[in-house]
Amino acid sequence: MSRVLTSAFSTFFVLLQVDPRQIVEEAQRRTTTQSQRYEGTLRVIDARNKVTEKRWQYDRIGSHGSSKAVLRFTAPPEVKGVALLVLNHPDRSSDQWMWTPALNRDRRIALQDRSTRFFGTDFSFEDLEERDTNQFDFKLLGEESLDSAVCWKVQSTPRQAKVSQYTHSYLWIRKDNYAFAQIENYDKDHLVRRAHYSDIRNDQGIWTAHQIDMHDLRRNSHTILTIEKLQYNVPMNGDAFTREALSRES
Amino acid sequence: MMLFRLLSWPYLRRHLVRWILTVAGIVLGVGVFVAMHTANRSIFSAFDRTVDQIAGSTQLQVSAGEFGFDESVLERVQSVREVGIAVPVIEATVDTNIPGQGSILILGIDMTGDRNLRDYELKDADEAIMDDPLVFLAQPDSLMVTQEFAGRNNLTVNSKIPLSTIEGIQQFTVRGIMSSTGMTRAFGGNFAVMDIYAAQQVLGRGRRFDRIDVRAKDGITIDECQAALKATLGPSFDVDPPSARGRHFEALLQSYSTAMMISSLFALMVGMFIIYNSFAIAVTHRRAEIGILRALGATRGQIQRLFLLESIVAGTLGSVVGAVVGIAAALGIARWISRVLETAGGVAQRVSELQVDASLIALAIVAGTGTSVLAAWIPARNAARVDPVQALQKGKYQVLSVGENRRRRWIALAAFLIASVCLFFSYSKPFFYTGYVLMIGAGLLLAPALTLLLSKTLRPILKRILPAEGTLAADSLVEAPRRTSATVSALMLSLAMVVGFGGFAHSFYSSIQEWMDNALNPDFFVAPSENLATRSLTFPAEISSVIERVDGVDQVQVVRDARVTYHDVPVMVISIETEKVASTVHRTPVAGSLEEMNRLTAEGKGLFVSESFATNLKTKMGDVVELPTPSGLLKLPIVGIIRDYSDLRGSLFIDRSVYRDWWKDDTANIARVYVKKGENVEAVRQRVINTLSSQYRLLVLTNREVRDWIMKLLDQWFAMTYNQIVVAVLVAVLGIVNTLTVSITDRKRELGVMQAVGGLRKQIRWTVWIEALTIGVIGLILGTCLGAVNLYYTLGMIKRDLGGIGLDYIFPSAFMILMVPIILGAAWIAALGPAEAAVRGSLVEALEYE
Repeated sequence: MSRVLTSAFSTFFVLLQVDPRQIVEEAQRRTTTQSQRYEGTLRVIDARNKVTEKRWQYDRIGSHGSSKAVLRFTAPPEVKGVALLVLNHPDRSSDQWMWTPALNRDRRIALQDRSTRFFGTDFSFEDLEERDTNQFDFKLLGEESLDSAVCWKVQSTPRQAKVSQYTHSYLWIRKDNYAFAQIENYDKDHLVRRAHYSDIRNDQGIWTAHQIDMHDLRRNSHTILTIEKLQYNVPMNGDAFTREALSRES
Repeated sequence: MMLFRLLSWPYLRRHLVRWILTVAGIVLGVGVFVAMHTANRSIFSAFDRTVDQIAGSTQLQVSAGEFGFDESVLERVQSVREVGIAVPVIEATVDTNIPGQGSILILGIDMTGDRNLRDYELKDADEAIMDDPLVFLAQPDSLMVTQEFAGRNNLTVNSKIPLSTIEGIQQFTVRGIMSSTGMTRAFGGNFAVMDIYAAQQVLGRGRRFDRIDVRAKDGITIDECQAALKATLGPSFDVDPPSARGRHFEALLQSYSTAMMISSLFALMVGMFIIYNSFAIAVTHRRAEIGILRALGATRGQIQRLFLLESIVAGTLGSVVGAVVGIAAALGIARWISRVLETAGGVAQRVSELQVDASLIALAIVAGTGTSVLAAWIPARNAARVDPVQALQKGKYQVLSVGENRRRRWIALAAFLIASVCLFFSYSKPFFYTGYVLMIGAGLLLAPALTLLLSKTLRPILKRILPAEGTLAADSLVEAPRRTSATVSALMLSLAMVVGFGGFAHSFYSSIQEWMDNALNPDFFVAPSENLATRSLTFPAEISSVIERVDGVDQVQVVRDARVTYHDVPVMVISIETEKVASTVHRTPVAGSLEEMNRLTAEGKGLFVSESFATNLKTKMGDVVELPTPSGLLKLPIVGIIRDYSDLRGSLFIDRSVYRDWWKDDTANIARVYVKKGENVEAVRQRVINTLSSQYRLLVLTNREVRDWIMKLLDQWFAMTYNQIVVAVLVAVLGIVNTLTVSITDRKRELGVMQAVGGLRKQIRWTVWIEALTIGVIGLILGTCLGAVNLYYTLGMIKRDLGGIGLDYIFPSAFMILMVPIILGAAWIAALGPAEAAVRGSLVEALEYE
């Protein structure tokens, strides 16, 4: 009885002591790098277990809120060469352009409805945006064990100014390394999407999930993003993250 | 009702053929009316449905006429706070090159955002295509077609479709098949979706969009969003709900619809005369019967009601059958008009189903029955006035009373005088149309007297040609002017319509010929499609210099034209290289001086307009035209007015430099090519084809091909009018058959006596034939005279209310010469049956008659 009370008191004490915003900011700080490069494989498994696969190479410069990224598809052949340039902004939604080599031109992707699925995957465009912690309110709900790791469970709610398809999200952040273990996104009381982070490895001192399984519960389909050949702080030229560069490097 | 059962029904059964002919008059009149209106309604409805079906949940559309606008406008629209979704659209019809399939409506959309506005329901197996637009976007030959189109052409995913593009015929790949719902029924199912940026390339749009479809943000009303967009974009852009396109389409076709309505009313009027004739004859025929009834105590009211009841039965029966016939014919007519509109106007619509309007059918039946009652009114009144004593005496009943004749002449004279006065005030619509109606009315009122006069005039001539038969035939007409005049009136009215429409067509053809000789004088034309009305395909203007470098080419003039909405009227803006055009085309302006007009237009200090524009938009020399352009309102004064037939609603000519500056567009859709003097045109043309084929796949059309295309278009446009003329003449011929049938019956005894005293069958036949031919001749003479008047008013009506086109008065002499054998031939054919009936009838029965 005394152990139970002690545990309850200590949890309560922890909840009082720990600022959830600091936890999220710390998680972000630990993954802050100058650049990132990996080769990704996207496997979409729909409700009928039909599997489609795409591969891309991902380059990012800068971090959290002001990064620039280029995502270039390498397979299958019919999409090879198609590239996506994402310019993130701390205060507003990202700007995105898509390069289509067959048309030899880029196009702006108007993200008026950011709930739109990202090219047939279970990620929405909003899911791919970097979170600006200033646009959310956080509440620590407690601690939970997930995949044999103790995690903080944090509720994140978008502030009024922030337009989101989700009313709130639950974030599981591992206590041992501040890596995200899971995110659940809700629309009112309904769980809409769940992202499960696994195969978390230490790459160049940064704990990184090498597999993200995004489950769209409304469609009952999964998208598994597998990350390979991950490198941080690779020397990159800022000029490579422009619309002009999209066409140059196709 | 009892009288009807006891008297009318047996009479009707005895004279079934004549009744069928009478009813046929109404059947044709109502049939044409219902067919034309139902066809028109179906076309409008098909257009509205196409617009509606492809609009999805679009609430507003941002457009700038057919020119479209630069891509950058999209960001301006998306930045408006009140806008929820804004997606760009390109819309065009292109030839499928599949035999029997014609064209297909292509909707170019941005797949990454468009699904928020439109629901592309794909067949299960193709779900991935919409879910994963990446493949669709990555391959510019991607196309999604409808299940209907795929079914008709045995297409499956990955099938190829050849489509005519700016780069020639290209193979597209079916990457998705849309299920048969809502949007897929647009354009009769000949509908496909393409990536907008691929559409820009293959349709020669450059970096331009046709329009932007918008949905307001949640919580914002459509009006608020519209106001915000207008405030942001200014007057250069139209911001309207999708339904506004239907209004513009209707405005575009206003003249055609009105012309169709007028001609169908003419057909109904002709039917009215047939009914009148029939009843007038019936009253005469049954005079003895009426006399007996009156002697037995039947009241005048009962007699009048009896005939009116007969007319209601005939009218209702004819109207119902006419409505059924009209509906049956409407789909074919609608599809035909639809094809003409698509070719001539480049307007995307396709009629796949009929829109039958119950209220229109009810109106047609009421109008048909009403027309029948109206036509029977005078004969019924005359029947009621029959004096029982006189009625039971044998004799001639067809003679017009002197008093009646005189009264008609006075009324006709008064109508003619008032109509003449109205001519002086014909600038005013009420005066013009009052004058028109009174003039036609005067002609119709004078018809009996003129018929009598002409019959008497023709008698000596007929007597000289065939002494016995000619005299008998002429006497028959002279002694029964009432019987003859109604038929002559119907024939006269039909021919007046023939002269009116034929004259209009003739004047129009002449004017077009003159215009083509003058304005379309290049040696050949370079265009992206053999359909020159296709403005959805454009090419870069640098083609001009490519062609100019070809050996033997003297000059190239590029033209870019497109329709814009000006004061709610769709008009054509034509940008030309004024200086070059001035050196090769020498038009005679309707207003202004040619040199001044060309100089000021070339300097960008003015524009010149077509006469139809000036009339329709009520503008004159010096007026400032405010044209909406993507760069703001372009204000230019009118420096000249010319006759031009590029667009029937009106055309404005601006210099190409002005177009480039204000529309920020350097594309063209036609290049006019002149060959150096002494050069072989065909050889130069071949060189141009060879030069262009390496870079562009454009068509090089000879001057003859372009002229033939325009003439073919005109033929198609007027074909429906000709069909209506045929119907009107047919109705009039029915009247001749009717008249002759009665004439034979009336003269049964006379013809019997003739046979009894040794008259040959041949003579009897000739008598009937000559009577029919004389009716035809009189009808031709009076019809030509009334037609001459009708043509004057028809041209006036076209100028003032149906397109504003000024046409010279040219009487269609050749047309009328052609009508002589047609009418006389028809009259003779109409006489064959009655003549044989007269010859083969029982002599005893004939002598017992009356």
